[in-house]
Amino acid sequence: MKLNRRSFLETGWRIGAALLAVAAGWTSWELLRPLKASGASGPLKLGDPGKYAANTATYVMAGRLYVVNTGKELLALSQKCPHLGCRVPFNDKSGKFECPCHGSVFTLAGARVQGPTPRGMDGYQLSIDAKSGELTVDLTKKIEGKA
Amino acid sequence: MTQQPTVQEAKDEGRFDVLEPERTASATSLIGKVQQGETWRSVFRHPRLDTPRGRALQSFSNVFLHVYPVKVPARVLKIRYSYRLGYIATVLFTVLLVTGIYLMFFYTPSVNSAYGDMQQLRTGVGFGQLIRNVHRWSAHLMVLVVVLHLVRTFFAGAYKRPRQFNWVLGMMLFAITLGFSFTGYLLPWDQLSYWAVTVGTGLVHYIPLVGNAISNVLIGGDQIGQATLQRFYALHVAVLPVVLALILMIHIWRVRKDGFAVTRGGTGAFAEEHTEVEVEPVVLPPSTTADDGSRVRLLGVVDRESVTAEERLTDDTVFTWPHMLVRHVVVGLGTVAVVLALGIAFQAPLRGIANPNETPEPAKAPWYFVGLQELLNHFDPLVAGIMIPLAFMATLFVLPYIDRNPATEARNRKVAIIIFSIVLTAAVVLTIIGALFRGPGWVWIPPWKHSYLEL
Repeated sequence: MKLNRRSFLETGWRIGAALLAVAAGWTSWELLRPLKASGASGPLKLGDPGKYAANTATYVMAGRLYVVNTGKELLALSQKCPHLGCRVPFNDKSGKFECPCHGSVFTLAGARVQGPTPRGMDGYQLSIDAKSGELTVDLTKKIEGKA
Repeated sequence: MTQQPTVQEAKDEGRFDVLEPERTASATSLIGKVQQGETWRSVFRHPRLDTPRGRALQSFSNVFLHVYPVKVPARVLKIRYSYRLGYIATVLFTVLLVTGIYLMFFYTPSVNSAYGDMQQLRTGVGFGQLIRNVHRWSAHLMVLVVVLHLVRTFFAGAYKRPRQFNWVLGMMLFAITLGFSFTGYLLPWDQLSYWAVTVGTGLVHYIPLVGNAISNVLIGGDQIGQATLQRFYALHVAVLPVVLALILMIHIWRVRKDGFAVTRGGTGAFAEEHTEVEVEPVVLPPSTTADDGSRVRLLGVVDRESVTAEERLTDDTVFTWPHMLVRHVVVGLGTVAVVLALGIAFQAPLRGIANPNETPEPAKAPWYFVGLQELLNHFDPLVAGIMIPLAFMATLFVLPYIDRNPATEARNRKVAIIIFSIVLTAAVVLTIIGALFRGPGWVWIPPWKHSYLEL
C-alpha cells in the first residue's frame, strides 16, 4: 500500500477508533466484573471436628454449606444445587439431599443419585487449623462435584 | 352582527391560508381569534381543513404523524391485516414506561428496603397496588403480544425482501423485551423473584467455557445479592429503555420506509409482484452536449433492484389522518382498558421476603423461560440448555436470510410453515407443561389438582 496523506489519515483514524473501543471495553469490564468482596470468602471456622456426628449433615448458615460426616470422612458441601442453583435441603428420613426444584437427589456424601443435575454437589476444601485444632473451610476453593 | 369577510378582504388583512386561498377561518369567536393569531399559527402552522389537502397537511406539519405515511391502502385499515400487534406492543411499552416511572418514586434498589417498599406501596400509597398490578400484567402481556407479532409476521411472510433487516431488529426487540421482564422480575425481592432469577441465571452456567463469567458479570458475584439487585435495576430502568426506544424507532421507521404494509400484488398479505421486465442496458456517456449546445450530465444510474414499482389502483388509498389514527386510538384505549381491568381484578403476587436459605417448592423460572426449564429436565444440559435454545434463537434471528423463497402465500412455502409450526407447537407445549403441570420436585401434577402457576 502506498502511504500518502489520505491513506495515512484513513488508517490513522481507524486505529484510533479501534484503540478507543478497546479502552472502552476494558474500562467497562473492570467496572462490571464482580468485586472479590461480594459473596462469602476466605476461611471460616467451624469449631471442633468432633461435634459432627457420623452419618449426619449439619447446616452452617454463615457459609451456606453443610458439614457432612459420612462416617469415613468430613466434607463441606455447598447448599447450591449444581443443576440450577436452588438450595438443597437434607432429608433426615431418607438420609439424602433432595432438591425441591427439579427433583435431583444426592447421597450424604453429595454424589448424584438421580434427577437432572449434571454432577454431584459442589464442596469446599476442609482443613484442621494447626494452632486451635478447629475445623476450617476455605470458601475461595470450590471443588466441583463429580459427574 | 359581523359579516363574514370576503376572500379579498381576508387577503388584504393577511388572514388567508397560503395553501387554501379560497378559505378563511371564522375569526368571529374568541377561539377563532386565538387560532388566527400569530402565536397559535406559530405552533400550528396550518388550520385544520376538512379537505384532502387539509388532511395531508396534518401529516406534513405534525412531527408525530410522520410515523405514518400520508395515505395508506384501504385494506390496511382492516383489523385482519395485521391485528395491530406491533402497535399494541408499543402501547404496552408506553403503559409500562408511565407506570414504571410511578413505581420508581417509591422504590429503592436495596436488599434491605426493596421488599418493604413493595409492602408500603401496597398498603400506604393511594393507587400504589393498582399501578404495580398494571405494570406487572402489562409486562406479561407485552411478552405475549411481541411473540404473537413475531408469529403473525412469520405466517404473513412479512419478513421477506425488502423487510429482512426489520425482522432482525424485531428479534432484537423480542430479546430486549425478555431482558426487561427478567430484570424486572427480581426487583420486588420476594421469594418468587429471588428463586425465579436464581433458576433463570442458573441456566447461564451451562454455556461452555464462558458461562460462569457471564453469570458472574450478570449477577455481580457468586450468588444473587445486593450487586445483582443494583445491576438489574440499572438495566431495567436505564439501559434497556434507552436501547429499546432506539431500536423501536428504527423498527417503526423502517416499517414506514418499506411501505407500511403496502400490498404489491400477489395473494399473500405482503406479496410483492415479480414481473419479468426486459430492460435494455442503457449506456450513457457521463456528459454530452445537447443539440442546443447545453451540456447534459448523467447524474446517476439507479439499480433496478432499488426501484420500487407498484401497480395498483390510484384511488385505493385513504388518508392516514384520520382513518388509521382513529383506529389506533381505539385499539390503544382498548389495550389500556384491558390492562386496567386486569390490574383491578388480579393482584400482582408478593410472597415472603427473599430468603437465600429457603427454596420455595417448586422454584420455577418466569413463564417465558419455563419451557427451557422443562426441556432441561429431559435432556443433557449442554443440549437442552445451550444447543437447542442457541440454535432456536440464531435461526430465528437470521430467518429472512435462510428462507430465500420469495413467495409469501402459504401454498408456496409449505416447508417453512411446517417447520415453524412444529417448533412453535413444541415451545408452547413445553411452556404449558412447565408452567401448569409441574409441582414440587418437578413432578407431574395437573393444574386441576393443584396449580403451581406463578406469574
